[in-house]
Amino acid sequence: MPDAKPRDLFPGALEMMVLRLLKQRPMHGYALVQRIQQASNNLLQVEEGSLYPALQRLLKDGLVDAEWGVSATNRRVRVYRITRAGAKHLGQEMSSFERMLDGINLVLALGGET
Amino acid sequence: MTWLDGLLRRRRIYDDLADEIRAHLDEKADELMARGMSPRDAREAARRAFGNVTNIQERGRDVWQWPTIESILLDIRYALVQMRRAPALSATVVLTLALGIAATTTVFSWARAVLLDPLPGAGAPSQVYALETTTASGTWTPTSWLDYRDFRRYLKSFDGLAAAYPTSLALGNDAGSERAWGELVSANFFDVLQVRPVLGGLFPSNSDDAEGAQPVAVISYALWQRRWQGDPHIVGRTVEINRSPFTIVGVTPPAFHGSMPGEQTDLWVPAGMLGRIVPTGGWWLNDRGTRTFRVLGRLKAGVSFPAARDEVDRFTAFMAKVNGGPSTGMRGLLMPVWQSHWGMQDALRAPIVVLLAACGLVLIIVCANAANLLLARAVSRRRELWLRLALGAPRRRLVRQLLTEASILAITGSALGLAATVWLARSLRTLVPPFAARALLPPHVDGAVLAFTAILAACVTLLAGVAPALHGSREARGDALSDGARNTAGSVHATRIRGALVTAEMALAIVALVGAGLFLDSVRNTRGVSPGFEPDHVAMASVSLTLAGYDSARGDSFLRDVAARVRRQPGVSDASYTDYVPLSVGSGSWEELRVEGYAPQPGESMKLARAAIGPDYFSTMGIPLVDGRDFTAGDDSAHTAVMIVNQAFVRHFLAGRTALGVRVHGWGRWFTIVGVAQDSKTYRLTESPTPYFYVPVRQVYRPEYGYTFVARTAGSVDQTVRAIGQAVRAVDPAVSVFDAMPLTAYIQGPLLSEQIAARFLAILAAVSALLAAIGLYGVISYAVAQRTKEIGVRVALGAARGDVMRVVAGEARTHLILGLVLGLGAALAMSRLVSSMLYSVGSGSAGVFAGAAVGMVAIAMAAIAVPARRAMRVDPLVALRAE
Repeated sequence: MPDAKPRDLFPGALEMMVLRLLKQRPMHGYALVQRIQQASNNLLQVEEGSLYPALQRLLKDGLVDAEWGVSATNRRVRVYRITRAGAKHLGQEMSSFERMLDGINLVLALGGET
Repeated sequence: MTWLDGLLRRRRIYDDLADEIRAHLDEKADELMARGMSPRDAREAARRAFGNVTNIQERGRDVWQWPTIESILLDIRYALVQMRRAPALSATVVLTLALGIAATTTVFSWARAVLLDPLPGAGAPSQVYALETTTASGTWTPTSWLDYRDFRRYLKSFDGLAAAYPTSLALGNDAGSERAWGELVSANFFDVLQVRPVLGGLFPSNSDDAEGAQPVAVISYALWQRRWQGDPHIVGRTVEINRSPFTIVGVTPPAFHGSMPGEQTDLWVPAGMLGRIVPTGGWWLNDRGTRTFRVLGRLKAGVSFPAARDEVDRFTAFMAKVNGGPSTGMRGLLMPVWQSHWGMQDALRAPIVVLLAACGLVLIIVCANAANLLLARAVSRRRELWLRLALGAPRRRLVRQLLTEASILAITGSALGLAATVWLARSLRTLVPPFAARALLPPHVDGAVLAFTAILAACVTLLAGVAPALHGSREARGDALSDGARNTAGSVHATRIRGALVTAEMALAIVALVGAGLFLDSVRNTRGVSPGFEPDHVAMASVSLTLAGYDSARGDSFLRDVAARVRRQPGVSDASYTDYVPLSVGSGSWEELRVEGYAPQPGESMKLARAAIGPDYFSTMGIPLVDGRDFTAGDDSAHTAVMIVNQAFVRHFLAGRTALGVRVHGWGRWFTIVGVAQDSKTYRLTESPTPYFYVPVRQVYRPEYGYTFVARTAGSVDQTVRAIGQAVRAVDPAVSVFDAMPLTAYIQGPLLSEQIAARFLAILAAVSALLAAIGLYGVISYAVAQRTKEIGVRVALGAARGDVMRVVAGEARTHLILGLVLGLGAALAMSRLVSSMLYSVGSGSAGVFAGAAVGMVAIAMAAIAVPARRAMRVDPLVALRAE
């Protein structure tokens, strides 16, 4: 595989990250993109726009709330906030994700056994 | 939320999204500019980093929209593939659903035709109610014309009140007369029911009621087509009704069938013409005691039903006081038309409701069975579902997929069921006696029936599909990774649900079995009751002399001539005639009596049911005379009026006295009791002995209800039935004969609907038991398959076949015992609910319960026999190697 090209995300990963970041503090869309890129050391390639359909999905499922407000830099921005259901959902997703990762790792760790 | 709210809300969401994206691009561009990029480059770069703005906006909006058609089609295609992959399972589910839905929809179509839509073709029928009255003793009666006129004049709650008297009529002249059903109606009848003619006009509202008003008739669409082939110039033509010319003024729309629910009326004549239709009946219109009219009222807009009912109640109480005499103790009650006591719906209400409940029960069992099978399938599809989930399908999508599969099965089943219903709906006529079936309106599959089926299909999908869908997706979510996942928490969960479903199926099947048993028992008990006469070897045939326009002298000689001819037939020992055949579906006539030396209790009704009969009636019917003499040809208008009473009459009115010679007053004169007849059943086999009396036709000629000839023969009854018809034609070819049949066939009428309903219940119960067996079989087979290894080990360790059998039976035992306990409990509650519909079942019901329990156990044994055999044949080597 020709190296260092950042990988696409699997479905649901973006939502999981958004929830995780919003759990720290409420943020607006632009700030979320910045935080994802910054926190992942730019390993993850997130097309900035793809954040918005994800946010709409979370809104629809009641996992986040949104409110128009004014940012620190005095802009009119839409600030997202995680809901109680969102926090619960995040917990479930994380644990199931970890189990899946463990499973994959175990299989990958077989290496040259066969 | 309304549709508009939803639209506006979505609009807001879309605007917010667009604003937000714009703000994002601005912020990014500003930041880039702050790093020294030119405004133009900055905007360009911001857009590049963002991606395709339009596309992203669309994706954001999609979140809020319904699933697209494409994805639904995909689900359907996938579901069809799944169906083909498990053809036996799919066929079982589809066919059982079709059966359940066909049965339920069929009974619903009956209920619709008879109860829910009693006045098809009438405008705004929900505002129309039936107004009925009772006598002092609480017996429901129709309403007299004079009472009706008062209702119409004084009741304020109604836009209009109409009256109708249903009767059979003869159409045409001597050469070709046809029997038809007609109604004598108030002139406002069509206005009140809001029926518009398709041709010509209806009765002018002022043509009413003045006696002998106008010889006009309105005909039904069906009669127009049948008799005149839809002749467009029909209006203005003359038709002979009971040998009297009437001018046809209009044709009703095809949907309209008259005021009797479930029955077809052919034509309508103004009530003022009563004297012309029934030559001896014109005086009815002026007699408050002659209650013959059905009253229907249309509520005024804004008047509630309870308010109108209260007004009717108050006003009839007032009338009872003011009018006195025949009105004493009268009560009036307003009720929905389907509750009315006149018409087919009165006899069919109870059987239809019971059958509808039974069908609902079966449908629930069918759903439980389908859920059970689909659940088993979901368990076996665990890995496939997990794969889809792992590939990123959201859980909701998986639930939708599984529900789509269930709904396709449900829709296929419903379509099949509906097709069967179209054909089955007409079988309603099996519930009514053959002689009543002619006027019965065939129920048909209309919009309401279609809607009902659609709702059923949706409920079935939910009942049968939700548990498997939720379970399947939940299962897939967690732990289905490993191959040996047979005993994971998920499949234990499924097994538990399936066990519960099977238990429920068996419990419901027991309810169905007990219900069918109780009704069959009731019918058997009823059939075992002696009617008090001997219907075997008796032939009967009816005539309507008013149709032939007879007066009393001609009627009398006609009856005697025909009876004499019949008596001369070989094999015939006795022949007579009566104006009321016992155990007829309809009610007979009654007369208000005064018995010499008897003081009625306060409020006691002295209206007694009676029959006007010819000589030799008692010997023909096989009713023993316990005292006195029979009527003779000499008991005519020139001699003393005489009466024969039954034993119950003597017990009630003449306690301790000799009946013979006692005088009884009725029809405005005194009758002398000359004989006492043994008690016999009049209306129902289940009634207790009721005072009843007989008068000679020659002294009380009342032709309105027609007369029936009866003849006892030592030879063939069918031949005698034909002989009566020949005798009638020989005396007067213009008189038509109807209800010609053996008496045994005729008196089955009142029993018939119960009998057929009971048989239908038995079939439904058998189906329920079979479904429960299928469910149990599935669950036990699965359990055996799961425990193959364990069984193998046991066999290897020397377990005998009996031990293996015990293991398998142990699986079934819990379900069976729980199902029995729950089922018998529910059946007990159900039997209390229906006890009023049963006849003397109390003693036999323990047997029915025991029978149902034993039957269920036997069925369960049969169901587990196959998996048990399979378990006993388990080869330990194979079983152990399989792991």
